Parts: sequence; structure tokens; C-alpha cells
Amino acid sequence: MKNKTNKKLIKAAKETVFYLFLTTLIAGMLLPVYFLVSLSFLSTREAYRYPLPLVPALNTKFELTHGERGYLLSVFDRIDKEYQTVLDTNDLEKMEIYIKSQLGTKITQEEIQVEIANLENSDQGSIFFVKPRDLLFNYDTFFKVTRDAVPALVRSIEIAALTILISLSIGGLAGYAFARYIFKGKDALRFSVLFVRMFPGVAIALPMVFILAEANLYDEPLGLSLIYSVGAIGLTIWITASIFMGIPESLEEAAQVFGASKFQAFMRITLPLALPGLAASAMYTFLGAWNETVAAIILTQFKPTFSVVVYQTLLGASGQVNLAAAGGIAMALPAIFFTFFLRKYINQMWGGVTV
Amino acid sequence: MTATKPVSLRKIWGKATPYLLILPVVIYYAVFWLRPVIAVIIGSFSDASGSFTLQNFVMVFSDENFMPALNNTAIIVVFSVTIEFFAALFLALLINRKFWGSSIFLFLTLIPMALPAVATGAMWITGLTAHGWINSLLYYIGILAEGDKIYWLGGLEANQFKLLALVIFIDAWQVIPSMMIILLAGLQNLPEEVKEAGYVFGGDFKTVLKKITIPMLQPTIQTAVILRLISAIQIWLIVVLLLGFGRMPLLVERIVYYHEEVPGLDISYQMAAGYTIVVSVIVSFTALLYLRASGAFKKEETA
Repeated sequence: MKNKTNKKLIKAAKETVFYLFLTTLIAGMLLPVYFLVSLSFLSTREAYRYPLPLVPALNTKFELTHGERGYLLSVFDRIDKEYQTVLDTNDLEKMEIYIKSQLGTKITQEEIQVEIANLENSDQGSIFFVKPRDLLFNYDTFFKVTRDAVPALVRSIEIAALTILISLSIGGLAGYAFARYIFKGKDALRFSVLFVRMFPGVAIALPMVFILAEANLYDEPLGLSLIYSVGAIGLTIWITASIFMGIPESLEEAAQVFGASKFQAFMRITLPLALPGLAASAMYTFLGAWNETVAAIILTQFKPTFSVVVYQTLLGASGQVNLAAAGGIAMALPAIFFTFFLRKYINQMWGGVTV
Repeated sequence: MTATKPVSLRKIWGKATPYLLILPVVIYYAVFWLRPVIAVIIGSFSDASGSFTLQNFVMVFSDENFMPALNNTAIIVVFSVTIEFFAALFLALLINRKFWGSSIFLFLTLIPMALPAVATGAMWITGLTAHGWINSLLYYIGILAEGDKIYWLGGLEANQFKLLALVIFIDAWQVIPSMMIILLAGLQNLPEEVKEAGYVFGGDFKTVLKKITIPMLQPTIQTAVILRLISAIQIWLIVVLLLGFGRMPLLVERIVYYHEEVPGLDISYQMAAGYTIVVSVIVSFTALLYLRASGAFKKEETA
């Protein structure tokens, strides 16, 4: 009996240690990401406090009293745990702008007037009030203040879509050939897919400046997507080949027996079955095109991609760290979103890890 | 219709199909890969007027930043790939079992790799400044006293070593989780019986690992390491975002530097082209050397 409980205890202890270990690992991976997210929600005032608050505030606490020049506005500081004076003014507009831009808090001049009236009617020397934070203020500002952020975002999506179109149509055909036919030079082509990746992207981007300029495609979305497709095609061939291999050829043959041509059999049978896999391949291509920065820096001038815009904001980011964080998160969100959908395929690609 | 055609024509058509299917890829590679590659090779051997010269390479090799760039790149590649590989292997061996919550765990490990380079940049820039989140965190958990700050990016030449260590750490943070997943996949594809046989014949964990697990994991390791080598040589963005151009010269950083920061001059294109060739040669050479050393050419290629 005692032996049995001992074994159970040892097993429970082992489990605990294992999950503790996993938790530490996850914390190590995600803490930096958490802090970037948290920073992107902090008000400008708090983003420059040291130490930084660990979580963004959902509302802001104010204290209003009479000051020398008008009304004295104080804000509750979460680090020092006390009200700190930030403004002494009669100017409602100034108050509104300060509260919105520095404190990231929703307020209107009418609301300020109401609070002032409250103060005047009160027999106390000061009044306290709470206003909700505008949590998306940094994101809003990033897209408004950063020149080109919105058009760049649209352009990045356009480039990714074009890259998907090019690489899926060209790479998909070759992937099908790889899966269904034996032909001369198959191995050579397979090696070339690897070889193409060995030559760094920068190396192609540099001469492409002139080649694209000749074709009037420099600084155009199509030009960049042509470059991105070079890398994407290789991956697409690889993924689509494995997808088509997974669909039995006998299905196509059966359709042909019933009178369909080879092309019809492909369109009606194989393609619908391959669609989920092709979608995964498209998402991969999207990720590659969306994340790419180096070639985009070299090959754009007045029409940067979103990643270049964020890069430029960061490079000059002696200013607003919380805005830079918002830009970084805006850049990361689609990437993480698509990775979530792709996780099954990523695991498959690496040999179906089940843990 | 097809029935009336001579059989031989249909046969030829059938044989031609795969070639027609791969033709677009071949043309695409020729136009958008081979052509720029040839252009940059020619560019690196030409002067401003277009005639043959070796002057560009002389300029690159005598550039005061060339040796530092080469050294820094080499240090980053050697240390980051080694550390990442062993850490990932260690973690993969520890996690190699079925457990509750594994699918969530898998997704979380993909997040660091999924982050775009600029997002990673934003993360570490905001972390490594003196009043950033790293110092704040250290303060909250009691490592840093009040008012105490670590100047992570401070100091110039004297701290090159510290800065390199930082870059290697940042790269490791991003790469280890996904490399661990690749190795984990390899571990789980190993037939259990082989390992069991190893234990039956008296091997302990260490022997089985060394004599059976690692050798059988070889193809997986090969893929993981070669992809890492290729991208580690091309690290630059995070360095430029953290330190700006020129503070820690790297080979690829020099290419972007000459293209972006000193544009318009003939010499800048020649320098950029020269550096490009140097990087390309190093990347291809390293990849081939590694493939050769790990015995990839002896076996049937399984791409």
C-alpha cells in the first residue's frame, strides 16, 4: 500500500515539475511580447514613467481644484500612488487636448465644464472624478500621425495578394508536376529551389532596382511582389507537391473513366480536395510578403510597405515609444493571426509533431 | 476527337505535360532570379563606366568596416547557431512526451518566430532603453534597486562584446522555440523500438542519445541548422534598429548602409554590389560546406 502511494506522489511531483518547467518556458517566450502589447495601450505620460506600470489602466482618476491661473488639474499616478498636478489653466481646449493626448483618456469640453460646475457648487475645495481610458488612442494616433501608414497598409496587403496569385499559379503547376510525373531534371529543379534560397534576398533586391526601373515597376507594388514570388514559389512548389501527393491519383482516373477529360478531372476532383492545403500555402506566402523588410526598404521610395513605415518610425523612435509599440503590434497581429490558422500545417511540415 | 488523333501524338503530348507544367517556374527563375544574380555579379566586377575591374573588391576588402563586419557576423553566426541548437535540443528532449495542453503550447512556441522583424525590433527597443520594460521588470522583481538602471545599449567601443551578446540573446529568443519544435517533430518520428533496443543492450540514457537518437535525428538537425545558418549570416535589421548604422558593422548591414545611407554615388552601388557578392559567396559556401560535412550528398536528397 505504502509503495503505491509513494509512486503516486512521485508521479504527481514529476508532473508538477514538468508543468512548472513549461510555464517558465512560456513566460520566457511571451513576457517580451506582453510588455510590447501593454506598452501599446499605455498613455504617453505613463509610457515615460519609470518603472513602467505593469498593466495598462482602464480609467484615469482626476482631482480638480482652484489654481493660481485657473483650475488645477491633478492625475492619480499609479507608480507613486498619489495625485500629481499636471495643469493649471482656464483654457478648456488646452485641458481637453492634454487629457486626450498625454493621458489617452476620453473627454469632451462639455464634460470638463460639468466637472468645473461641480467644483463651483461643491463646498469642498476639490472634487474627484474618473474618466474611461481610450485604449486604442496609440493605434489611432499611429495611423493618423505616421505619414503613409494607411496607404502603406493597403499596399502591403495588395503586394501580399499579388505574391500569392503569382506564386500559387506558377508554383502550383510545378507542384502538381512534382507530385504526378516523373521527368528529366526533376532533381535538378528540386535542388534549384534550395539554391535560390541560398542567394540572399538583398543580393537580388539590389540589381532589381535597375531591372524594375526599366520596366517602370520600381516603387510599385507589383515590382515588390515579383521579387517576393522568387522565394515564395519554391515554398509553394514544396507545399503543393506534398498536398497533391496526398490526393490519390485513382480519384482522377475514376473521373476520367466516367468521361471527364484530364483537365476536368483535376478541376472537379483534385482541386476542391486540395483547397485547404492551397489556402495554407497562400497564408505562408502572405506571411513572407507581409514580414519582409529588407527588399522593401531597397525597392521602395515614395510608396513604402507597412513594414517599412514601422521600420522608419522605429529608426526615429527617440520620440513616442508607445506609438512605436502600437505600430509594432499592428504589424504583428496579422502575422500571429495567420500563424494560428497555419499551426496544423506547420506541424505537419515538420513531421507531424503531436507532443 | 482525341480518338481520331494518332496515338504517337497523344503520347508525345502526355510526355510533354510535366515539362509544360514546370516551364513557367523555369522562365520565372530565369527572369527574376538568374538575371538579377548575373547583373549583380557583373556590377561587382565593373567600374562606373561599365568596364571590367577588380577595384570594387579592393575597396570592399580595404574598407575600414570590412574586418569588423566580417568578425561580428562570424561571431553572431557561430555563437547564435550553436547556442540555439543545443538549447533547442535540450528543451525538445525534456518535452518529448504527450501532455495536457500540448496544442496550446505548440501555438505559443510559434509566436516568437511569427513576429515580423520590425515588431521584434519594437519589442527590444522599448525594452532595452534605460527606462524600458526590462529594467522595470527587474525593478519589480527586486533585482534592481530604486533609481538603479542598467544601460543596456550604452557605451561605445568598449562594450562591443556586451552588444554582441545582446544581439545573440535576442536572436536566440526568437529562434529557439521554433527550432525546438522542428527537433521535437524529428524525435517523435523516431521508431520507439530502436531506442528500446538500445536500452535492452545495456545502454544508458547518454549512450542511447549519442549513439541512436542524435544520429537518427540527423536529417532533421540538418534542415534546422542549415536554415538557421543561412538566416544568421543575414542578421542586420535588429542591430540597426537598436544601434543605428555603423555601431556594429555587419556584412548585410553594410549593403543596406551603402544603398540607403549614401545613395546616388557610383561608389555606393559598387560597394553594395561588392559586399553583396561577398555575402552570397559566404552564404552559399557555408551552406554547401555544412551539407557536405553532414553527409547530405551521400544520401538521396529528400527536399
